[in-house]
Amino acid sequence: MKLEELRKIRERAEAELRLRGGAARVKVVVGMGTSGIAAGARQTLRAVLDEVARRGLKDVIVTQTGEKGLAAQEPIVEVHEPTRVTVYGEVDETAARQIVAEHVVNGRPVAGRVVEVREVRG
Amino acid sequence: MIEDLAMHLADLVQNSLRAGASRIAIRLARRGPTLELGVTDDGAGIPDPDLPRVLDPFFSTKPKAQIGLGLPLLAQTAEMTGGWCLVERRPEGGTRVTARLEWDHPDRPPLGGVAETLVPLMATSPGVEFVVELSDDRATWKLDTCEIRERLGDVPLTHPDVLCFLERTLREGLDTVGLKEDR
Repeated sequence: MKLEELRKIRERAEAELRLRGGAARVKVVVGMGTSGIAAGARQTLRAVLDEVARRGLKDVIVTQTGEKGLAAQEPIVEVHEPTRVTVYGEVDETAARQIVAEHVVNGRPVAGRVVEVREVRG
Repeated sequence: MIEDLAMHLADLVQNSLRAGASRIAIRLARRGPTLELGVTDDGAGIPDPDLPRVLDPFFSTKPKAQIGLGLPLLAQTAEMTGGWCLVERRPEGGTRVTARLEWDHPDRPPLGGVAETLVPLMATSPGVEFVVELSDDRATWKLDTCEIRERLGDVPLTHPDVLCFLERTLREGLDTVGLKEDR
């Protein structure tokens, strides 16, 4: 393993983190259960990670979870914000990038793909 | 439908995560004419009464699931190639799943994108450490996220440079041990 390369990545990334700082604003969760994986959730998760990285969104956490009980609408993506959770269905790679661009960046949910919106009480 | 072996691996990893595992070992070994794949975890484990039923497609340990297809599908895939699938409860806690397939059997699914599948899963599972061990008759190659995290400090595995590093490193490991499609 190229340990020197890891050291350089750390130095560069820590410098970025110092510059940008701040806590996570949005969490994006991709359903990676059996039905999600079979429906293409791997590509969805990769697209979300790639789009978040490409846009340099340092206040966004990307994570994954198992079955969400919505097998017919996999792949499922949830966008968690302080006041609401928006659940998207049938999120392919293109839709995943659209959700990051329009919802995560601009705060406008992508209406055609929303399965459910849950209000979060503080 | 689960189309490649990387998808099966992802499904096994997801089972381990659901069982609350904090350490997951993924193994791919090409030995002679066979390919063995396995996932071992330190999660909650499968209760003894459930063990004989985990390969039954109409059984699941998930409370809300109607059926649990991941393990039965893997067993079916392995058996179609003349191999087998074994699910064990580890005495020290957790579960070990092993499947053996005939490498050259026409019904063996392709490996698929192993690096492209495992790396996003590993990177987006905070608090869980992964060991990936790849081997063939000549060599063994290992990646341990614990060692990588130690060297990265507070930099997350989801950092784009780290993701690229992990995928490239894992692909190199697959090449090192001859885990490449040759058909």
